[in-house]
Amino acid sequence: MRVVLAASAIVAAASAAVPTRAFAVDYLSAEQAAKLMFPDADAFETRQVALDAAQLQQLDAQGTRGRSANWPVRVAKRGGATLGFVVTDGVIGKVELIDYAVGIGLDGNIKQVEILSYRESHGFEIRLPAWRKQFVGKGNASTLRIGDDIANISGATLSCTHVTDGLRRIVAVVALARRAGALA
Amino acid sequence: MRLIRHRSPPMKALLAASLALATSGVFAQTATEAELARRLDQLAAELANVKAQLTQLQQKQAQPAAAAPAAPSSTPVAAATPPVAAAPPAPPAYSGSLLGPGTVLTSYGELNYNRPTRANQNATADVRRFVLGYQHRFDEKTKVVTELEIEHAVSSADDPGEVEVEQAYVERQVTPVWALRAGLFLMPVGLLNENHEPTAFYGVERNFVETAIIPSTWREGGVQVIGNFDNGLMVQGGITTGFDLNKWDATSTEGRESPLASIHQELALARAHDLAVFGALNWRGVPGLLLGGSLFTGQATQAQTSEKSRVTLWDLHARWTPGRWDFSTVYSRGTISNTAALNAALVGNPTLIPASFDGFYVQGAYKLWSHEDYALSPFVRWEQFNTAKSFADLGPGLTPDAARAERVVTVGANFQVSQGIVLKADYQRFRENADLNRFNLGLGWSF
Repeated sequence: MRVVLAASAIVAAASAAVPTRAFAVDYLSAEQAAKLMFPDADAFETRQVALDAAQLQQLDAQGTRGRSANWPVRVAKRGGATLGFVVTDGVIGKVELIDYAVGIGLDGNIKQVEILSYRESHGFEIRLPAWRKQFVGKGNASTLRIGDDIANISGATLSCTHVTDGLRRIVAVVALARRAGALA
Repeated sequence: MRLIRHRSPPMKALLAASLALATSGVFAQTATEAELARRLDQLAAELANVKAQLTQLQQKQAQPAAAAPAAPSSTPVAAATPPVAAAPPAPPAYSGSLLGPGTVLTSYGELNYNRPTRANQNATADVRRFVLGYQHRFDEKTKVVTELEIEHAVSSADDPGEVEVEQAYVERQVTPVWALRAGLFLMPVGLLNENHEPTAFYGVERNFVETAIIPSTWREGGVQVIGNFDNGLMVQGGITTGFDLNKWDATSTEGRESPLASIHQELALARAHDLAVFGALNWRGVPGLLLGGSLFTGQATQAQTSEKSRVTLWDLHARWTPGRWDFSTVYSRGTISNTAALNAALVGNPTLIPASFDGFYVQGAYKLWSHEDYALSPFVRWEQFNTAKSFADLGPGLTPDAARAERVVTVGANFQVSQGIVLKADYQRFRENADLNRFNLGLGWSF
C-alpha cells in the first residue's frame, strides 16, 4: 500500500508541476496535431485504452514492449463516424524527452507523424517532413525499425530509434484496442 | 545466544538447510527447493491479496465516475489519477510537456586491447577513456552540458593517464531556429568529433583521418551559434580559441603523428591572443543522407614571436544509411602558413612543421544480423592519410621530404549487445609501416 500511495503522490506532484510549454522548441500542441492530421473531423473523443496482462504479453510476443498499460487515444469523428485515431506520446531521445503525435487511419496504417517538441542538442532533423514521411502508410504489417524500413539520421541514432520504437508500439496498441472493441 | 533463542522457524529451516549443505549435497538441494517453494507460495498468496485490494480500490474510484455521465473528453487532461478501465470520466492523455529530469548523468567508456601481429610484445590493454558527464537544465530553454574524461585509467606523475574536461558549455535556445552555445565545446568537424562515443563508430579505434588530421576529440572555448532550418540544413559558426604553434616540439614525433593534436590547447590556460573562426554546414534533408563540410581558420603564434602563421582545417563528409547499409566518407585537409620562417629555427630536428596534411576514408558497414537489441554489423574501412604532405621550401638540403601517405585497411565487426553497449573486434593492415598491423578488441558503452 505504501508503494501505491507513493506512486500516487509522484503522479500528483508531476501533474501539478507540468508546465504549459516545454524545453527548447515546441512545434505543435496535441490538439493542433490532431486537427492537422484529421482536418475533416468535427470532434475528437478521448478514449482510455487499458491493456490487460494478456494484451501486454501479446505486444511483447510481437517484439514490441508495451511500456504502459494505459493509452489515451483521441478518436477523430465526423458526424458520428470514426475517421481515425491520434495518440500522443513521449520518448527519451538521448537524454531529453521527445513529444510526438501519430495519426492512424481506419486501415491501421500511419497517416501522419508530428513532433510536438524536441529538446536534444542534436537530431533535430527527426522533425523534418522527409524523415516523418517514411512512416506514412506503414502499419502492423511493416517492420517499422531503423535500418530496415526506416532510414536513420546520422548523429541522431538514439532519437530515431526511440521514436520509431514508440510509433511501432502505438500502432500495435491501437490495433489491439480496436480488435478488443475499445475504440469502436 | 539471545539471537538463537529467538530465531524464527524459517531461520531454523535455513540453518537446517545450511547444515545439510555441509553434510549432504543432495539433501541440501531438496531442503532449499522446499524452502523456495514455500516462499513462492507465500509470495503468490500476498500477490493475490494485493490484487484483491487493488480491485476494491478501483471499484471505489469507479463508483463516482459511473454516477456522472461518462462523456468523452475532447481536451487532454494531465494524468492526475491512475486511469481506470471502467468508464473513465476524463481520461488522461499524455501531457506532452513533461520536462523529464532536470539533471541527467551521462557516461561513456572504452576498454581496448591491441595486439600487433608482428610485434606482439607490444600488446596493450587499456581503459582508453572513461567519461562522466551531466546535463542540467536551468529552465525550459537553457542547459549546461559537461563531460569529464579520464584517459588510460590512472593519472599521476608516474602514470600515463590524463584527466580532461572534454565539454563544458551552456546552451540557450533563443528562437525555434537559433540557439547560442558558449564555453568549451566540440568543434563541428567531420563525422566523428561531435559523435565520438564508442557506440557511434565502427572499429575498436577511431579512424586515423579523424584523429591524425582532425584531432578528435577536438574542442575549443568560445561562442557558437547554431541554426536548424526546416529544409534540413544545420548551420554552425562562431569564434573560438585556436592552436598554439609555440607548443610545437621538433624533437618529438608527436607532430608527425598528428600535427594539430600536438599544438591544440584544450582550454588549459590557453593562449588567446589569436582567436579563430569556424563554420559548418550539414544537410540532412533526405532521410538516411548527411552531406556536410566545415572550415576552421585562425592565427596560431599567439603573439609569442614576430612571425605570424595561420592554421586552417577544412573537411567534406557524407554518410548514407540505406536500409541495413551504412556508408560514410570524410576528406580533410589542413594547412599551416609561413612555416618556412618558423622552421628556420628548427632545422636539424626530426620533426619540422608541415605546410599541409590531409586524409581521406571510405567505410561501408552492413547490419548482418539482429535480434531484439542484438545487432551484428561487419564493416570495412579504407583510409589514406599523410600528416606531412608538404613542407615549405627551406633551400636545397634543408627542406624535409614529404612523408609517404599511410594507407590502412580495417576489417571487423561491431556487436551491439544493447542500445548502449558494444563489443568490437577488427584487424588493421598498414601499407607503409606493416609493423603496426594489429588485432583489436574493444568494449564500449554510452548512455
